[in-house]
This record gives sequence, C-alpha cells and structure tokens, in this order.
Amino acid sequence: MDLGIAGQYLLNGAVLGVIYAMVAVGFTLFFGVLDVIQFSHGDVVMAGAFTALAAFSGLQMLGAGSGILAAVLIALAAVSAMALLGAAVARWLVLPLRGAPPLNTLLITLMFGLALRESVRLFYPNGSNPKPFPRLLPGEAATLGSLSLRLDTVLLIAAGLGAIVGVHLLVRHTRLGLAIRAVAQDAETAKIMGIDFGRVVLITFALGSALAAAAGVANGLYYNEVNFNMGLLLGIIGFSAAVAGGLGSLYGAILGGFLFAGLQTLGAIWFSVPAYKDVFAFACIIALMAWKPTGLIAEKSAERV
Amino acid sequence: MTAVLAVQGLTVRFGGLAALSGFDFQLHEGEIVGLIGPNGSGKTTFFNAITGIYRPAAGGVRLRDRDITGLAPQRIYDAGITRTFQRLRLASALSVFDNLMIGNHRNLDHGLLTNLLARRRLRRQVEENVDKARALLARFSAALARRLFDPVAQLPMIDRRRVEVCRALISEPQILLLDEPSAGMTQEETRALMDDLLAARARLPTLSVVLIEHEMGVIERVSDRCVVLNYGEKVCEGGYREVAADPRVRAAYLGED
Amino acid sequence: MIAPQRPVSVLPALAAALLAGVVVAAFLALEAQWEIALLALSLVVGLLISGRFGLTARVEASSAAFPRAVLSVTALVALAVAAVLHDAHFALLMLATVALYVTVCLGLTLQFGYAGVVNFAGAAFFGIGAYTAAVLAQRTAVPHLLLLLAGGASAALIGSILILPVLRTRGHYAALITIAFGILFRTFLEVNDALGGPQGLKVPGMRILGWEFNDNLRLGANAEVSFYFNYVVLAVALAATAFALVKRVERSWLGLSLDAVRSDETAARAFGVDAARWKILAFTAGNFLAGTAGAIYAMIAGFVAPASFTFGDSLILVSIVILGGSGNPLGLIPAALLVVVLPEKLQAIQEYRLLLFAVVVILILRFRPEGLIPRRMREYFPGWRRW
Repeated sequence: MDLGIAGQYLLNGAVLGVIYAMVAVGFTLFFGVLDVIQFSHGDVVMAGAFTALAAFSGLQMLGAGSGILAAVLIALAAVSAMALLGAAVARWLVLPLRGAPPLNTLLITLMFGLALRESVRLFYPNGSNPKPFPRLLPGEAATLGSLSLRLDTVLLIAAGLGAIVGVHLLVRHTRLGLAIRAVAQDAETAKIMGIDFGRVVLITFALGSALAAAAGVANGLYYNEVNFNMGLLLGIIGFSAAVAGGLGSLYGAILGGFLFAGLQTLGAIWFSVPAYKDVFAFACIIALMAWKPTGLIAEKSAERV
Repeated sequence: MTAVLAVQGLTVRFGGLAALSGFDFQLHEGEIVGLIGPNGSGKTTFFNAITGIYRPAAGGVRLRDRDITGLAPQRIYDAGITRTFQRLRLASALSVFDNLMIGNHRNLDHGLLTNLLARRRLRRQVEENVDKARALLARFSAALARRLFDPVAQLPMIDRRRVEVCRALISEPQILLLDEPSAGMTQEETRALMDDLLAARARLPTLSVVLIEHEMGVIERVSDRCVVLNYGEKVCEGGYREVAADPRVRAAYLGED
Repeated sequence: MIAPQRPVSVLPALAAALLAGVVVAAFLALEAQWEIALLALSLVVGLLISGRFGLTARVEASSAAFPRAVLSVTALVALAVAAVLHDAHFALLMLATVALYVTVCLGLTLQFGYAGVVNFAGAAFFGIGAYTAAVLAQRTAVPHLLLLLAGGASAALIGSILILPVLRTRGHYAALITIAFGILFRTFLEVNDALGGPQGLKVPGMRILGWEFNDNLRLGANAEVSFYFNYVVLAVALAATAFALVKRVERSWLGLSLDAVRSDETAARAFGVDAARWKILAFTAGNFLAGTAGAIYAMIAGFVAPASFTFGDSLILVSIVILGGSGNPLGLIPAALLVVVLPEKLQAIQEYRLLLFAVVVILILRFRPEGLIPRRMREYFPGWRRW
C-alpha cells in the first residue's frame, strides 16, 4: 500500500482512537466508582455535540462564530452542560437504584439514552436530519508526498490526548482523584474514612460526561456533521473498548479505544463494504472477550465470595 | 476414624500474593473442626478452593479415595460437599421452599417430559419434597417450618441463616462447610442455631463439618478440634483449650509482643 | 399461621378478561381522537381505582389459580374481538401484531425475567425468523407451516452462537453483545443484496393445506371477513401455546433452576446448577419463540425489510416486558396492548412514542420496578398450598 494512504489511515485511526478512548474512559470511571454501566453515555456524547452546535448558533448571532476561539467556547459550553447532565443522571437515576439488581440500572440508563436521542430528534430544529457542524479549526494541511497532514487532525488528536491525560492526572495526583479511587476500591471503607460518597459519585459522573461532551465536539469538528443517532454506535463502541481494555482500568479504556479504532481501520482496508468494518471490529472484540473475559488489563473484581 | 477429607499442600495465589500456602488439613467422619484465624488469613479462600471457586496453584484435595482437586463447583456438590456463605447468599425474592430446593438440585428431576407434560408426576415430586423440606426445617424451628412458602426477604436474620444451613443440609451431604454462621446475629441467636445444628447432626452421624468462626465461644462449645490459620499458613491445631493457650495463636490475633 | 387457603373464585379473572375484550374492541373500533383519548383516560382512572380497592390483586390471584380456564377464555375473547371487528383490516392487523409481540416478549421473559440473560436484540431475532420465512417462501417449496419452525430454529441457532462467548461472564457482557447485534443487524441486512438490501423481500401469503390466508372470506351475501382474521387466529394460537409453555416452565423445577441462576449464580453453581447450560437453554428457547413469531409476521406483512427490525423496536419489546412486570407473563398482555395499540390510535402521540415509552419505563424502574402486574411467589400447582 502507498505510504501516503497508509499514513492517512493511521491518522484517521488516531483521531478515532482518541475519541473512542475519551468515551471509554467515561464508562470505566462509572463502572469503577459505582459498578454501573451507564448506557446513556453514548447519547451524552451526542447531546454534547448538539449543545456545542446550539452554542455555535448563539455565537453566530453575536457575530463571533469563527476560528479556534469559537471552537473552544462551544466546547466549554458543551462540557459544562454535559457535566451537569451527568451529575443529574447520577443523582436521580443511578444513585436511587443502588439497591436494585444491576440490570435495572443498565435498563434505566439505556432508556434515558433513548429519551435523549428522541428528544433531540423531535425538539431540536430539524433534528431528524444530519446537521452540519461548523468548520472552526484551521484548514491548512501540510503535504508530504501523497499524505495530506491536516492541521485540524493534529489539533484534535492533541486536544483529545490532552483531555485524557488531564483526567488521568486528576485521578492519580489530586485529592479528588484519591477520593474517587478510594470509593472505587471499597465504598464502605471510604465512607467510614469520611469521604462524601454521594459527592464523589456525582463528580465522577460529571467528569465522565464532560469528557463525553469533549468527544462529541471533537467528532463534530472532525466530520463536520452530527446527527441524533451518532451516540448509539459511539456508545456501544466506547463500552466495548472499555470492556476489552478491562472495566475499571483507565489505561485499559485508552488501550481499548485505540484497539477498536485500529480494528475498524483494518476492517475498512480489508472489506469493500464500509458497513462491515464495524461488524469486523465487534467480532474481534467479542472474540477477545471470550478469550480474556476480564479484559486485557484485568477488570476490577467486585465480587466477594 | 476414616479421613473423609484430606488436603495436602494446598496453595492458592492471587497475582503474587499467596492467600493459602502449603495448607495440610484432615477431616474425619463425624467430626466438627473449627477453622479460626484473623481476618484475611485464608479461611474463606480455603472453602472456595475446595468448592471449585478458586483453582489451587498447588496441592491436592481428596474426598475419601477420590481426587477432587480443581473440579467445578457443580461436581463438588455432586460429590457431597455443600456450604454456606459468609455473606448470606439466598434468593431473597423466592420462597423458603424454593431456596431449599435449590440446595436439593441433584435429587430433582429436570426432564422436559416431567416438568412440562407429566404434571401429575411432578406434583408427586413436589409434594414429597415439601414434606422433606418441612421436616428438615422443623428440626431447626417449628415456626419457620410453617413459613415454608413465605418469601425469604420477609424473614429475620436468624431464620435466614437457618434457611441457608438447611439448604446446605437438604441434599444429605457428606461434608458441610459453614462460613461464619454467627455473623450478624446475637449471642442468643447463635447459640440457638448451633444447638439446632448439633441436633441435626445427631440424625446424620456421618456428617462432617468444618466451621469458620470468629466467635470463640461457639468454637469452644461445638468443635471437636481446631485449626488455626494466619497469612495463609497453618499455625497450629488441636483441641480448643490447647490452641487458645498456644502463644503463636495469641501472637497471630494480637500481634507479636 | 396454619390456615387453609381461602377458596379463590375463577369469576374475577373471567370478568376481567371479558371487560378487557370489550375495552380493546372499543379502542380498535373508535376513530375519533377525542373519543379514544377519553377512553384511554377512563381506563387509567379505572385501573387506579381498582388497584386502590384491591380488585387487581383479586383478578391476579384468580387467574393464577385457574390458569387453563383463564388462558382459554382470554384466547376466546381475543378471537371474539376479532370476529366483532371482522371487516376492519387495520384493527385485525393490530390484534395480530399484539399477539405476535406477546409471543416474542414471552421469549424475552424466559431469557430475562427468569434466567436473567438480558436481550436487547429481540427485534433482530424476530427479524431473523421473518427473513428466514421470506427467503424460504420465495426460493423453495417448503410448506408454510414448516416455515414457522424454520424461522424459530434459525433464530435459536444464531442466538446460541451469539451468546456462547459471554456465558461465563457477567451480565453486562450479554447486554453488550445483544445491543451490538441489535444495532448491526439492520446494517447487515441493508448491505446484503441477496437479502433484498434496504428494500427487503416480498413474502407470499400463508397457505396451509390449500387454505389461502390472503383471501378474504365471504360469509353470506353481506358479510366479508378480512383476510387478516386468519392471521389473528394463527397468532393468537401461537401466543396461547407459548403462554402455556412459559407458565409451565415457571411452575416447575426448570423455572426454579432458572431463578437460581438469575438470583445468585455463585450460590447456584455451589449447589450443582450448571449456570451456563441453563442460560443458553433459556436464551435459545426465547429466541425460538421470537423467530417463530417473526415468520408469521413476514407473511402478514407481505414483505420484510431492514427498517422493521431496528434497535428501537428491540427497546420497545424490552419496555413491554418491564412494563408488564418482568417475570409475569400475564402482565405482558395489557402491556403489549398499550404499547402497540395506543400510539396507533392516538395519532398525536405516534411520533413521540419512543420518547414516551422511554419516560414510562424510567418512571417504572424508579418508582414501581415490579411493573403493572408484579410477579408472584412460585406456585407449582395453581391454587395449591400445602400446610
């Protein structure tokens, strides 16, 4: 294969990997802290993208709708809105169901995701059709042979990695992160130690959802298009990535995200029908799960016999 | 006395940590052996290793003349070893009878014909088992026996423990592994449960029991012999008085002086 | 307390079945939006009141004590409603659809309500049955009744392959696999021209022993019976059979083992229950029901297309199970009726139905997780108690 094309695939895979990793990190955080699978997470990504879109319309009306500054502003809007949404989900949907069988939490978040999807489809102006997402990142590209290295691609990869590294630093090196890790390891003891369990859960959900919003904005900026359905596939990909890497492990989520992107890229290269790349990637992940049920980096074992 | 259970050099590892290390253990027919030691010393790990929940890294377990090392939990149960759990593991939405019948799994007819079509045969089986379940429960508590079809969720802790023990006894096992039966109960309740257990055992003279406990009073009263674990290794064994006086055991619980 | 069971009468259940039949017929027959809305409102109020006065509990106890009588009467009432509406094509189509959905949800109840294996690809397995019937009907001369079996078998087979890798893992992995399958099934169909691509395939009408299902019947000079009536009979027969089967499973040692696996897998294994085997049995059996129902659906609709079997449809099926009270087959009937009939009749909510269902399920899970008709304690034999 031509090196330029290979490079193109690689870059594309890298952006996807970063986006998937951001979503996967959310899943792993939620699972680590509360043992819950938050199935509305993918739709939070979508809601984040649409919030950014709405913010952009607002900026346009103020005449400030262009350039990287606008991108940062709408990203901020999306991130803060989704952080609030994440906390609300934790407060009203997830925490109250702590005593119920885990399947109930799975169901309630899945249904919430459905509600989000439908709300956007029904209530966002022209929401049922794909909507163009503004081009806010610089369009310059460097050409190296047959490879066109777009600046926005590089910026997105850098920003995404930055966000992930930021979360990682927060979890590893701050007091808040310590509290999160404490709760993830042993909620009962953490509570006895004086950690405000409810607050930690809310903050964790806010954090994961903020990251999801960032992923949504990145997705929008990269493809210049968003649609109400985008969260469904992204959510399931993020979940598979987190599972493949090992639920509960931050590194695992990142690894899983890039792994999935890589598999998708391979699938895109090998199969002429574009839809098969997803089937191929999922098939590989499922095979991986059959071989290593607890993920590449072992899933946090919550079960005490 | 015949050795019903013979454990040799049993080792269980989690990553780099040895939860159980070179553990030798013998259980003779009709005995009640107490297994004691501080938290995390490997007692429940031992139960989990025998019952197939953990795979031992080394060592062997023999049930009479049969090697049962590393068998799946279902096979261990079929061989005649049952247990209770530290954290009560009952199906709380189901009735007492249903829970006991789960314990009776290998005596139940799971054929499609019986269950779906030959309903008269099924009815006979159900009625026989109702009598059996009620009789067993009655040995523990007449009041509980009358609540055979109540959901377990409505029972107080002491009755739930009784149900758990009966679930383990209903299949008439050779060996019963009791994991901290007194947890969550008052001294009174524990005493009552142990009395019932001894009475039940009187009717099953071949039943051998391994009892994990923190309540030393229970161990003293009920066990024929004790084994002490610390950090996955056997510290000593013998009669309760002997073991309680042993300085190594004190060190294990209270820390070195 | 030692007390003999107070004798339960079969009348409350029968009365409820008849009343339900009248209400359903009214719903299906009415056209004016305000009339329908009024009826819906009165139904809700009526249910709340009867719940308050313990009437629903009486009906439930009654139907639990006389399952065979109640099942036959319910099936008869369904057929009677169909007879009353004999020339209303669309109403009959809805009735048939409800019966088919009930069948699929009975399968989901086996998987999820009893064995605890969550299945978010119910519509996909329904679709597998439908497509199997379509392909076989178009390209072979397999007798149509066998197509039903073929549909069920292919759904069961594919399901068992799908679930195999995740049998020994925790619940959320099954969720993951079935969600992925539920989403990708449609994509898979759309890109496969051999299966008709996005347009789908045409399906000939059902023919059993020379009786053409797709011909309207003529009774006398004035009465014409819609051809959909044939399908209603078939669908109700299937639903009734599936219902009886699932009920019997629950009221047996089989149901007990399934419950054991769902409640606490570790404890179940410690007492000899082969959890993996039971999960795969329940999953396969449930999908068989879904596939069989799908095969009938293919012939009613006259065509199969990817757009009929989306992930959203799978979620609707899950909503029916939760709404009805997971684990209680009886609740599936009112739930399916609500979910299928209401949006069709109340045009105003048609567009919003997915959102509505999502909100309703969220509220149920939050405030009344037992659903409309909560599951009762297992009674191995109806009306039987041993003291």
